Amino acid sequence: MSREKRGETKMKLGFKIWLLIVVLVLSLISIFAGSGLFQSGVVLTEINSNSSLYSQGMRPGQLIISINDENIKNVEDYSRVISDNFTPGVNSRLVIATDKGEYSFYGNEFPGLVVTEIPKSNLKLGLDLSGGARALIKAENKSLSQLELNDLVEITQNRFNAFGLTDLQVSSVSDLSGNNFMLIEIAGATPSDLRNLVSEQGKFEAKIGNETVFEGGEKDIASVGRDAQNARIEGCSPDGSGSYFCRFSFSITLSPEAAQKHADITKNISVNTTPEGNYLVEKLNLFLDDNLVDSLLISEGLKGRVTTQIQISGSGAGSTEEEALTEARAQMKHLQTVLMTGSLPYKLEIVKLDTISPKLGEEFMRFILISGAIAILIISIIIFARYRKIKSSIAMIGTSVSEVIIILGVASLIQWNLDLPSIAGIIAGIGTGIDDVIVLMDEARSKAILNIKQKIKRAFTIILGAYFTSLVSLLPLMWAGAGLLKGFALTTIIGISVGVFITRPAFGEMLKRFSENSKN
Amino acid sequence: MEGEIPRKNWHDKNYKLMLLIPLILIVGSLVYLGVNYSQTGELFKRDISLTGGTSITIYDENISTTDLENALISELPDLSVKRLYELGTNEQKAVVVETTLEPESAKSILENYLGYELTEGENSDVAFTGSVLSESFYSQLLIAILIAFVFMAIVVFVIFRSIIPSAAVIFSAFANILMTLMFVDIIGMKLSTAGIVSFLMIIGYSIDTDILLTNRILKRREGSLNEKIFGAFKTGITMTLTSFFAILGALIFVQSFSIVLTQIFTILVIGLGFDIINTWITNVSVLKWYVERKERRN
Repeated sequence: MSREKRGETKMKLGFKIWLLIVVLVLSLISIFAGSGLFQSGVVLTEINSNSSLYSQGMRPGQLIISINDENIKNVEDYSRVISDNFTPGVNSRLVIATDKGEYSFYGNEFPGLVVTEIPKSNLKLGLDLSGGARALIKAENKSLSQLELNDLVEITQNRFNAFGLTDLQVSSVSDLSGNNFMLIEIAGATPSDLRNLVSEQGKFEAKIGNETVFEGGEKDIASVGRDAQNARIEGCSPDGSGSYFCRFSFSITLSPEAAQKHADITKNISVNTTPEGNYLVEKLNLFLDDNLVDSLLISEGLKGRVTTQIQISGSGAGSTEEEALTEARAQMKHLQTVLMTGSLPYKLEIVKLDTISPKLGEEFMRFILISGAIAILIISIIIFARYRKIKSSIAMIGTSVSEVIIILGVASLIQWNLDLPSIAGIIAGIGTGIDDVIVLMDEARSKAILNIKQKIKRAFTIILGAYFTSLVSLLPLMWAGAGLLKGFALTTIIGISVGVFITRPAFGEMLKRFSENSKN
Repeated sequence: MEGEIPRKNWHDKNYKLMLLIPLILIVGSLVYLGVNYSQTGELFKRDISLTGGTSITIYDENISTTDLENALISELPDLSVKRLYELGTNEQKAVVVETTLEPESAKSILENYLGYELTEGENSDVAFTGSVLSESFYSQLLIAILIAFVFMAIVVFVIFRSIIPSAAVIFSAFANILMTLMFVDIIGMKLSTAGIVSFLMIIGYSIDTDILLTNRILKRREGSLNEKIFGAFKTGITMTLTSFFAILGALIFVQSFSIVLTQIFTILVIGLGFDIINTWITNVSVLKWYVERKERRN
């Protein structure tokens, strides 16, 4: 071959091969752009919405690059710099530089920031691989309309946000039989009272006698105190039988209507005089989902008065003081949450709940990569053994590997969560991909008196036939089972489509070049 | 080439007889599944993801799966205990307990047995599926498989536009599902949602080789019938064996850490195995019969 000719072959790689190269590069960009490979810092995952940093505009998802001019490369750096520069109880100043700007903090109690390493790629792993919790919820003895479901999703979202969980998704899903569900997915650690949080109706009522004074939710409650001045643990004490209990209290502001109602109800109640003080005969009873949470004495001064400030209290018990304290804090947070978000108009039922430890998730991914590598290794050995042609064999395996890269590229582009079914789909894709390149290879090598172009065309009639049968058989899975298997259907469809329209045509083109080169 | 002539003759003489092998397997599978159905009301065994129940993973290196099983078999209905371990060292990493009981009771029974508290997301994980939901999942998945099968059949008819060859392809895929289902049940596997999905993958894999075969035989002019069959066989068996060994290799590794992937891969390996019979005996024989009859008529 003359130099000129070689140059020509190099230049004219052909549209199909160029397309493959371009799509491959775009996929790699989609997978790795902006990931930990090219940047350093830590990602903020949680921030307390009461903190001054939050009000300055600091939000989850931002990248913390340095603190007080010390570069932060990983989570260890972060912890070290924080403990070097900050002592709890002592007023200190921190200047936190992020990719979205600088924020400064001054105070003696560090605002709860939770950080994590920058992900190594843009691939989003499903909860069953990365760890987290997933719950599928429906109304008890009632089928929800889409409208009711949308309301439920909104209330639940608010409830979780009020509770301080931000890394979560609440959505409505429906299945083939027309059942509607609410799907809650929480990344990372499982909140300990998840079950209560998602399924509890959260009906809060404050009653005097049989009359409801106010209920949880925006209508009756203007605001709920949650900062240090307005919400606190009153104190802990042993109860005499070896366990402890801690009391908490926080203030709430009633709406004018609710305050008026309080005045109307209390004005006719008589006063009881006791050595500790003068209180009304009736107590203010607090109910959560029809269970009595606490009974509060109403002081004489409040009788018939329109007051908007109310003190809510309760307690938590435990076998040690620390346990009681944790329990009291959790109880307080819980009450505050339902007071803020109000109750749901119906009872809920968890129909499916899965929790997966984050620590298992990491190992899982490593194992999946290893098993993928084993599969590709075995495929390579068989291909080499069968065809004994280095160049075409490498092209065959390269085609398969590039299909995987493109599937992952598309997945990170559309922000698809790769869950276990999706991984199975990728495996199915590799399998049919290899099948198709074998068909191409054998057709190209066939002894038929046809030119290579015609041979490749023949191969594609088989490939397209197989493609359409697979495609239509995957469609029903997009909707079955509340969409939990959508990942499998979607990745397989992406995989086989990429194969048929991008990688395998390129492979066919390569075979043409190989055959033309060998003729020269 | 010389050596192949008598082999071809043998096949010419015996290919109809060879149909007995798949036929016996199909009848056997039908009888097996039928007996299953008459005795239990179910075609095959389902795991908790399809019947409803709880799966609790306990991250504890020291629990003995057999001790746990023996101790709790009367308390936890439909108990099944599996072990996750480090491949190579065989070091136990976790134990997975499955039962049809709801999570609170199952958890407290296990806590009693273990003597420590189980905290979700820390030393344990819980997966729970309500029985109403899983029944509905189950019926939806069966419907999905059915629709998939019908769609696939329509596409096959559109591609080949002749009844017997298309029917042969569809029948091979059906026989493949049937035999795999029987085999999976015989080895005692309880099917999960992922398991049902694997059957969909089997449809995909088995159709590939059937389409290759039918296309080569019906749409090619060059070569004798036997040459076309043998050519298709060389390509098709490479396809199936590549997938078979790749998945088998991954399966050996995967079974140490993932119950879901283990089930998917096991079913695929079995399905690919039966696909060899159903493509290269069932489908080949019917097609050969069809082509020879057509040739004789012309």
